[in-house]
Order: sequence, then C-alpha cells, then structure tokens
Amino acid sequence: MPQGDNGRGIDYTIEPGLTLAKLFLKQYKKFGRNKVAMREKEFGIWRPITWEDYYRNVKYISLGLVSLGLEPGDKVSMIGDNRPQGLWAEMGAICAGGVGVWLFQDCLMEEVKYIIDHSDTKFLVGEGQEEVDKALAIRGSCPKLKKIIWDDPKGLRNYHDPMLISLEEVMKLGKKLEREDPDLFERMINQGKSEDVALLFYTSGTTSLPKGALLTHYNMLSMGRNMMRVDPCLPTDDFVSFLPFAWIGEQMMSISCGLMVGFTINFPEEPDVAGENIREIGPHTMFAPPRMYEQMVRTVQVKHLDAAPIKRAIYSWAMKTGYRAANLKFDKQPIPLSLSIANKIAYLLCFKKLRDHLGLSRIRNAYTGGAAMGPDHFRFFHSLGVNLKQIYGQTEIAGISVLHRTGHIKFDTVGTPIPETEIKITEDGEILAKSPSVFLGYYKNEEATRTTLVDGWLYSGDKGYIDDDGHLVVFDRSKDVMTLSDGKIFSPQFLETRIKFSPYIKDAWIIGDKRRYVTAVVCIDYAVVGKWADERNLNYTSYPELSQKIEVYELVSKQLQEVNKDLTRAAKIWKFVNLYKEFDADDDELTRTRKLRRAFVEQRYQDILTALYQDVETVHMDTNITYEDGRVSQIKTDLRILQLDI
Amino acid sequence: MQAYLPCGVYHQQYSEDHAWWQTKFVWGKMILLGVLLFVVFPWFGGYYLGIMNSIGYTIMGALGVQLLIGFCGQITLGHAAFIAVGAYTSALMLLHIPESQAFWAVFLTKSGLLYPVSIVAAGIVGGLWSVLFGLPSAKVKGFYLIMTTMAAQFITVDFVITQYVAQIGGRGQAFSLPPGTIKIGPWEIDSDVKVYFLMVTLVILMTMAVANLMRSKTGRAWIAIRDNDIAAEAMGINIILYKLKAFFVAGFIAGVAGAFWISNLSAVSPEHFTWFWSLWLVGVILIGGFGSIHGTIFGSLFMVLVMELLQVIVGVLTPWFPSLSMNFLFLKESLFGLSICVFLIFEPNGLSYRWWQIKNYFNLWPFSY
Repeated sequence: MPQGDNGRGIDYTIEPGLTLAKLFLKQYKKFGRNKVAMREKEFGIWRPITWEDYYRNVKYISLGLVSLGLEPGDKVSMIGDNRPQGLWAEMGAICAGGVGVWLFQDCLMEEVKYIIDHSDTKFLVGEGQEEVDKALAIRGSCPKLKKIIWDDPKGLRNYHDPMLISLEEVMKLGKKLEREDPDLFERMINQGKSEDVALLFYTSGTTSLPKGALLTHYNMLSMGRNMMRVDPCLPTDDFVSFLPFAWIGEQMMSISCGLMVGFTINFPEEPDVAGENIREIGPHTMFAPPRMYEQMVRTVQVKHLDAAPIKRAIYSWAMKTGYRAANLKFDKQPIPLSLSIANKIAYLLCFKKLRDHLGLSRIRNAYTGGAAMGPDHFRFFHSLGVNLKQIYGQTEIAGISVLHRTGHIKFDTVGTPIPETEIKITEDGEILAKSPSVFLGYYKNEEATRTTLVDGWLYSGDKGYIDDDGHLVVFDRSKDVMTLSDGKIFSPQFLETRIKFSPYIKDAWIIGDKRRYVTAVVCIDYAVVGKWADERNLNYTSYPELSQKIEVYELVSKQLQEVNKDLTRAAKIWKFVNLYKEFDADDDELTRTRKLRRAFVEQRYQDILTALYQDVETVHMDTNITYEDGRVSQIKTDLRILQLDI
Repeated sequence: MQAYLPCGVYHQQYSEDHAWWQTKFVWGKMILLGVLLFVVFPWFGGYYLGIMNSIGYTIMGALGVQLLIGFCGQITLGHAAFIAVGAYTSALMLLHIPESQAFWAVFLTKSGLLYPVSIVAAGIVGGLWSVLFGLPSAKVKGFYLIMTTMAAQFITVDFVITQYVAQIGGRGQAFSLPPGTIKIGPWEIDSDVKVYFLMVTLVILMTMAVANLMRSKTGRAWIAIRDNDIAAEAMGINIILYKLKAFFVAGFIAGVAGAFWISNLSAVSPEHFTWFWSLWLVGVILIGGFGSIHGTIFGSLFMVLVMELLQVIVGVLTPWFPSLSMNFLFLKESLFGLSICVFLIFEPNGLSYRWWQIKNYFNLWPFSY
C-alpha cells in the first residue's frame, strides 16, 4: 500500500561549529553499544557493527593516519567496494581534519592517476590487490602519495613494497598513539570547524576532465538536514549501501543522512549479490540512479513474459488497475471506490508479492537521481504503491536541491526545492540554485569556479523551467536539447527512456537535432533478446551477430512502433540501427554514473550517423572496443539500417 | 534446500540463521498445527484416531527407511525386522520384569517407568540388531545390500523371533499383554486417545531428531555417502562408521516404533512384522519422495488414507460385488503396486517434490522463476 511520510517532527538543528566528526562523536555517545550502526554480510550472516565498534575503528584508523603523518587538510583517497572499512577510512580521515576523496572502483588507470595527482592525495586506501596494483602502477607520476593502505590481504602475501601498509597495521599504530595521548582523537574532532573542507568530490562530467568539488562539513550537514526535513528517516530504518561511494548520492545517504539520523547501513556480501542482499534487508529508504530501477522493471517484464498463463493474466489485470489508480493519483483526482477496492485486491494478489521479490516490501521512500527517468518507469513503481521520487541536484550542491514531495509527484518534473534552497531560471533557461549546501569551488580550478559559482548561485548548466505548480522541469544539459524538423524543442532523453521501457532494449541513443527526421541507435539487451532468440531457434554466437538478425530488427521495430504511437509526426522515429555492442563506460560512451556522453558517441559513431540520413540499407563499421582490463580490440562489421512504417 | 524467506528477514547470528521457524508466519502455522494435533484431533472418534495411530506408526517406521535409503543410500528391505525386535524387546520387558523381585524391577514397575524405559531399550536393541545386519554394507552395496537386508528380515522374524524369542515363557506364538501393563507413570495407556497422544509425542520427537541429525555433520556425511561413496571417502569420511551409524539410528527409530505399536496391540506376534511390511515402508517413502522428511509424512498419510478409502469404497460396493470384501487383501496389494507404478511414471520425485512445487508456485508468484 502506498506509504506516506512518517511525519515525525525530529529536530535536525545544526549547532554552530558542528562538523561531521562532531556529529559522529555525538551519535556514538548517544547510541554506544546499544545500537547497530552498520551490518556487513559475511559468511552468510549480517554481522552487526555497533556504534561503539564503529567509533573505535574510526578512532584507530584516524590516529593511525595521524601517526603516519596526516595533517589537517591532507587528502585521503579511497577506492574499493562498499565495505564498512571504506566508510571507516573516510570518517577516520575526516575526524583527523583530513579531506576524503572517493574514486570509482572501475576507474581506468588514467583516471585514477589524474585524480590522485590532481587532488594531492597523501594516503590511498585501497580494498585489495587490484587497487594496490593500480596504485603501485601510478605512484611514479603521483609524487605526493606517501602510503598505500590495503585492507583485504588476499593475493598480497608477496607484496613487500615499503609504501604498502595494511589497515590493520594502521590501526595498531593508532592504538599506540592512543596509549601515548588518549585525548588526541577527541581533541582533533573538537578542533574541526564547520566551514572546513570535508570531502573532495570529482564530478564524472559528461563533457570534460573530472573537476574536484570542495564540500565543507556544513554543506554536507545542511544537505542531510534539509533532506530529512522533507522525508524524515528513523533510527530504526535500514539502508543498503551498494552504490559506489564515489557517487554523491551514496555519500548523501551513508554519511549525511546516516550520521544525522543514525539508521543502520547494510553492506552487501559482494556486488554480484547486491540484489539478493537488498531483498534480505528490505530497506526503508533507497536512493539509486534510474538504471537500477530500470533494471528492476526489466526483470519484472522478462519474468512476466515467461510466467504461466494464469499468473500472466492476474499480473496484467493487477498492473492495469494499478496504472489506473496511479494515473489518477498523478492527476490529483479522487480515486473512485470501486477502483480503490480493485487496487487493494490487486495489491493482495500481485503487488505485495512483486514488491517482496524486488526487495521493496518495507520501502517508505525510494529516490532516483543522476539522470532522467522515463514516465513509464515512474508509473510502474507508483502503480505498485512504491513512493518513488525524483531528486535533482549536483555534486556541487552536495547532491540534492530539488525533490518530489509525497502526494505531489509529477513524473515530468523533479519536484520543488528542499528547505533553505532557492531555484531561479536565467533568461536563457539555465537553472540556478542557492543553498547552504553549495560547494566552495573546484579544487585547483579557479576558472571553472568563477563560471559556476556567481554570488552564491550555482550555475548548473542544465536547462529547465518552473511549471505552474512550482515544480522544476529539467531539460537535459543545455546542448542535449534537440530541435525537431517542425522547429519544436524536444528532449532526446525523454524518447530514450520511453524506448528503454521495452525489456528487449537496454540502451538507446536518439539523434535528430536540426535534422529532417528522428533516428535511433539501439543496444539490445543481450540476455533478454538472446532468450527470445533461443525460443525461436535462431542461431547466434555473439552480441554483434544477434543484434544484426533480421528477426531481431523486426522485434525492435515493433517496440519502437509502440513508442511512436504517442508521438507527434516530427518526433516519431523513422530509422534505427542496432549497434553491435552495448554502450560502455570503459569506452567513454557513458559516464561512470551511466549517462550517455552524447558529444562523444556522435563523434565515435560518425559513420552510423551519416548513414542514417542517407538512402542506404547498411553501414560499415570499423572501430575499437576497450575491455575492462584496458585491452583494445578491433571490430569490423556491417550494420543494417531499418526504416519504420509511419 | 534454502528455505524461501520473505523480504526483510535477515540474520545477525548463526543461531537465527539456523532456526527452524524464522518468520512469524511459519510460527503461526506451527502453532496452528500444534493446536490441530493436540486439541482438535483428539476430539475425533475412535475410528479416526485409529487411522491416525496407524499413520503415526507408518511415519515412525518409514522415517528409519527414509534415513537409510533416502539419506544414506543404503537400500533396505528388512526394516520390519527391527520394528519386530523393538516390539519384542519391549513386550518381554513388560512381561518379565514385573515378575522379578529385585529392587530396581519393583521400582520400575511401581513407578510406571517400565514402559518408557522399555521404549528406550527397544530402540537400543533394535539399533544394535540393525548394526549387525548393517555390517555387510561395508562390503556390498546396491542390489546385493537389498539381498542382505532381506536376509535380515527372514533370519530375524521368521527364524529367531518365531522359533526362539516367541517361545520364551511358553506363551505360544503370541504374547498377549494383560491390561494395565502399559503405563507411563500413573497414566495407563488403554484407549485410542492415549495411544494417540503417545504417538504424536513420539512422532514429533523422532521427526525433530532426524531433521536435526540431517543438518549436522553426521547428516551431511550420510548425504555425501548417498551421492557418491567414493568421493565421500576421499573427503575423509569414514564411510563404514557412518553407514553403521545410519543403521543404528534407523534401527533405533524402528525399535521405538515397535515398542510404541504394542500399546495399540492386544497381542504381539510375528505376523505383525512380515516382509510385506518392510516392502510397504519402502513404498511409502517412494511415494512420499526420497530424501525428504516431508516426504515420509506425506507418503504415510497417502498410503494409510488411500487404503482406508479403499476399505470404505469396498464396504459400499459389497452388496453388489460380494467377492470384493473377500478379496480385500488382494485389492490392497494391487492398489499398492499400482500406486508405485503410477508414482514412478508420473511423479518419480514423490509427493514432497509436488509439495515443493506448489510452494514454489506461490512463492514465485506472479512469476514462474
């Protein structure tokens, strides 16, 4: 059933001078050993870590770093999976007055080198052998790096480099220092000021080299407070931390809101089983990029296709009812009694179980952010009664500035500003934001700071407008908006998200800016289409081959026709091509947060682009693809172009 | 098989992870079952309680067979022999100990502990006897083991018991138990309801014991032996020791079942423990499903209830076909054969598999996987 806010008026005041570290100390003193701060799934059970354990680990890491030579303001970089140790290291650095920097675990060597070098990182905390190898490879070009700290000893037995030190050793050093100076840790915490820099966050950037945004304690705290004012969490809530810490959204939940409220943070056993682990925990709140929700919808759709007829029929009926109720809710119209009863039956027959499968049984608020999400996906979750909301924000404003309110959700908007936040639209449509969470500036990049931060207003670079209800509507990045042949402004992302609602299509790239017609480059979902092909006895050996099957083209064209139905003539998709590979962040086609880098793909797939607007039926491709380990291989292939009947 | 848990159920301790009943829903179901077993069913009349008692007896008998065949892979066709050993051990103790004037004998008789003690003794003797006939399993397996266990049946029941044990005390073939012999404490087991309570208690204890054994080191070793004895030995399992353990536990359960069954009989005689009963128990677990405790219970329910139903049908049809009731035994055996054939063809994994599928059908709702 739809669950509203719990509406508890918890007071989230920030006393002057409060820092993340002081808040951490306060929460430790409040909860102590009586409350579980985090859990990590290990060897089949969720091992609890109380606030006391949390505090003690952070203290020893912090003191250990100090005895290794950490000075206030020094940068400590972290790279690795979501594990308690990562969070401890981050808190340890912050408590000692250091600055935390997180790197995406799947960053290629070049990116790691750039960030480590640019941020003047003194200590790098890596999870295990993989991270240590990366660090050892780049240390030559990062002269400021002093120590590489590792945590997981697997595979590190024969690593005797003097630069390496284990987290355990660091903690031992910390214990030693504590014996010499027992009050040092609390003294360090009390020395912190709220305007000190706490985190240095590199924006993934759809456009250029990553820029490091400096966020203060106050930025992080005020963001957490304002978010909690809208949707309060409870100390008894569960939250699952499975998205990269290098994503501001995860910091928002795990650090800001987590410290503020004191809910339990749960760490999955391995990234591969995160889905199952989320289901076990059944979190109360969740913040993930659209991709994650899209994947959920896809799973449901695919499983639905394979279900038995009775189950299919019940599901279809329940979804229809749910959609009708959700649509009325979106339109703020009263739901007739008959429909409300039908919806309750649908909940009992289908949604309850469906939410259980998705791990959403206990969810109070689910948030999506980082990219646009299609209306179909939104409707899907709301018809299940999941209170899914859009968050809009940037790293530069500590992650969030605009948010949907319960009961006021419009899936084409991102909601209204959170408390203490002002939103303004410039004359040419750019979104500006002002709040206590706006960052200090970019690290070592005066010029970028000057153009982004003017009089306390953050220039987002996004275009949008404020609608009649006061909701902010965000177009894409200014240059991502397209003009159709009839002169109308149109968002390609809107089309892409619509297309991606089909379970067979994983990714899409819409082209049509100032062109005669709209075309699409489609990446099929290998698993789903592969299964579909198996059932029809179509032979294929690889993604490129499967994607070029004429039957697959017909399948995709049917999906696109479905989307075309609701579009004006100028916005209809005329032609499409199935790409021979999926878009990948390793090929720079997507950002690490999996946004399409339009300018880049346009350049990379120039041949396809040209062919789509010529009268040809195939296009020859000759490109390189990069594997995860950095190897590059060449692909030569012919791609089919299919025209849709309109 | 990992139990299906709903979203939001997680464990911080291994003890929680290992708990039998992990959700309130399951607790609710179990409490309901307890109410049914201890409060509702006893209200049923003697006829129904009689049926339930034979179901319970079948469950206890089949549990040992399940343990040997379904969990340890040691095919046995002589299980009735161990039940007989238990029944005779208990009966002999009940008949002879009260005659003795020794202090302990008087104490046991007066305190009403004699029957409970005899149940345990029956279990131990049954277990040891079973180990004796389990010894060949060190050398032979599969088909040949069937032959040696059949030998156990004939040697034990048709030779040792009929010719020697049944002659003790010169009572002739059948040992009739005088009323008032079977007592637990002050509580004389003289009615179907009392037998029923004894049955439910024993079945619950036995089932729990076997279920817990199956998730211990011993149980895992048995399963390893069943799946591949050579691999199990290579893993360091002393397969002879574990096979004999399996024989002991199966014999123990059989002995207890036998000792229980005499409470329901007015006289104990070798005819109660024929080779056909051994075969019947194998049929029960085949229909219920190998390697499943649920299966043991389902199989017992199925076999007893179907046979009762057959009797009812025959009773109804007798006015028209008088020969039916005369040939009832023949009918019963035909139906037994027929059900085994049907199950082997259509549901070779037994009723427990069907149960699992039904549960999955709803657990996976609204999907199929």
